[in-house]
Amino acid sequence: MINLLQKKLVQEGYDVWVARDGLEGLKIMKEIKPSLILLDIVMPKMGGLEVMEEMAKDQELSKIPIMVISNSGQPIELDKAKELGARDWLIKTEFNPQEVVEKIKKQME
Amino acid sequence: MEINEENRNSAEEKISTLLDDLASLESYIRDLFSFLPSPVCLVSSAKIILEANPAFEKITGYKTEEMIGKTIDVFFDKERTEEFFERTLKEGFIKTEETFLFDKDKNSIPVSISTILRKNEEEEVVGFFFVIFDLSEIKKTEKILKDTQLALTNMLEDVEEAKDREEQEKNKTLSIITNLADGLLFFNNEEKIDLMNSQAENFFGLGAKEIIGKSLQELDNFTDLKPLVKLLGKKIEKIFRKEILIKKNLTLEVSTVPILREKTKTGTLVILHDISREKMIERMKSEFVSLAAHQLRTPLSAIKWTMKMLIEGDLGKITKEQKEFIEKTYHSNERMIELINDLLDVTRIEEGRYLYKPMLIDFGPVAQFVVNLYKEEVEKRQLKLEFKKPEKKLPGVMLDVEKIKLAIQNLIENAIKYTPSGGTVTVALKHDKNEIELSVQDSGVGIPEDQKERVFTKFFRGANVIRMETEGTGLGLFITKNIIEAHGGRIWFESEKDKGSTFYFSLPVKKELESFLGEF
Repeated sequence: MINLLQKKLVQEGYDVWVARDGLEGLKIMKEIKPSLILLDIVMPKMGGLEVMEEMAKDQELSKIPIMVISNSGQPIELDKAKELGARDWLIKTEFNPQEVVEKIKKQME
Repeated sequence: MEINEENRNSAEEKISTLLDDLASLESYIRDLFSFLPSPVCLVSSAKIILEANPAFEKITGYKTEEMIGKTIDVFFDKERTEEFFERTLKEGFIKTEETFLFDKDKNSIPVSISTILRKNEEEEVVGFFFVIFDLSEIKKTEKILKDTQLALTNMLEDVEEAKDREEQEKNKTLSIITNLADGLLFFNNEEKIDLMNSQAENFFGLGAKEIIGKSLQELDNFTDLKPLVKLLGKKIEKIFRKEILIKKNLTLEVSTVPILREKTKTGTLVILHDISREKMIERMKSEFVSLAAHQLRTPLSAIKWTMKMLIEGDLGKITKEQKEFIEKTYHSNERMIELINDLLDVTRIEEGRYLYKPMLIDFGPVAQFVVNLYKEEVEKRQLKLEFKKPEKKLPGVMLDVEKIKLAIQNLIENAIKYTPSGGTVTVALKHDKNEIELSVQDSGVGIPEDQKERVFTKFFRGANVIRMETEGTGLGLFITKNIIEAHGGRIWFESEKDKGSTFYFSLPVKKELESFLGEF
């Protein structure tokens, strides 16, 4: 799925970096300071909510907008993510790649 | 001789004086006898009354003339008189012997009798003095005193009994309080702690002795009590089932109850219910659902996205035939996703925290939006879909929009699914000042009479519709009912087999809903 979305986004002209777990994600974002982070919740090594907690502690990372894109969607998690500053929460099965791209475009404006 | 004459003269004088003195003594005694307040009579040794004083006349009701010559037996019990005489003869007197005196009118008067033996110079018995003391007033007072004493004793016994009962009741209550599985704290009107039962001691790892008499402020110094003190606030208000985390693995549900005695508040009882286990189960369940949702949705979303990109040509050109197959697969996949979403909804309903983000909404456009979703579907099935709404704007309702959309969708989808081509589905809105009502009427297959009871239960599907092989999980109406009821609304239906069904739901307008939600 990451590949599909990456392909779609590259087609749209975005620069895309991919991390396959939370720790790797934190490492990459610290290096390149992206303009938007698409974050999954259930990930190996470090989950999405933990990543957000870590980001909130860092002065620079805390400014980067986050869109959660996950298959998990428990109200408790939603609340927690919102509290930590997530801009949006997309459930993968409820959107197709094109719609996700539209959401990203809107967020990047 | 002269001297003798003189002596004789002076002796005569002395005798005369003596006689005078004697006479005056007799009159003195007679006066004394007359004015003596106690009744006295003189009785001969043959029990004949010889003399009586005015007090005796008064108590007996006889005149002295009437009494003299009568025997004393007239006034007393014969045997008692006999006894008095014998004892007086033997001992010379009797002292305050109680008996009854019968007066002229035959009333019996309680008296005490003293006698004294009267003898002449030769030591022969000449009679008796009977001195009577009227005891009736004393007896009366004594009776009153006795009655009072009895009444007091009875009262005392009652009080003792009540005290015993209260004591027993108190012991019972105390043992209930002590052994209750819930923790209890009692704060008096000065917000000081008066009681802590053993379960509360366990929760906080404190002995009652350490904290009894302490104020809320002082309690804040105990680490484990801090969350509770914070919840209770400065002045203890009514609290109903508020959760607080005391320490790891200990969550308490706190409620407070004002304790009234004869309408006056005497303090507040704080009830602490241990819900740690429930919290753990809830967390495990939530984690499981979250994981299951993720695990089930992940492959489906991968399929969905891949196929969508294939259909849209993002992954290279495909033939028309390939596209058609992929579209069919895409549609089946969507159904799988819906099924899983339904299952997740059901799990959340059962967890009791289904309603999410209610907002004040204009209901008309929401219903219109859902109806519009089915335009194509209806055309394809050759059905007519009508939407009727009142001209006047509907009052606002507090809604979780996504959930209400789902509820309306479920009703319309059912109506469409179970109505043969050529039929009509009518969605209608109406309202009064208390509620908004939506109905979905179809001209479909209807619900068999014997299955009407089970329509809103989980996994229910009508026997007649299963045969039609229509898709369905049997969860739609269960979910819909729960959505409506979570909003404080009602849901019901009318149905006739082979003629059609009408499903209704009503939602309270803002004011009513607020009071409904306020109860949580």
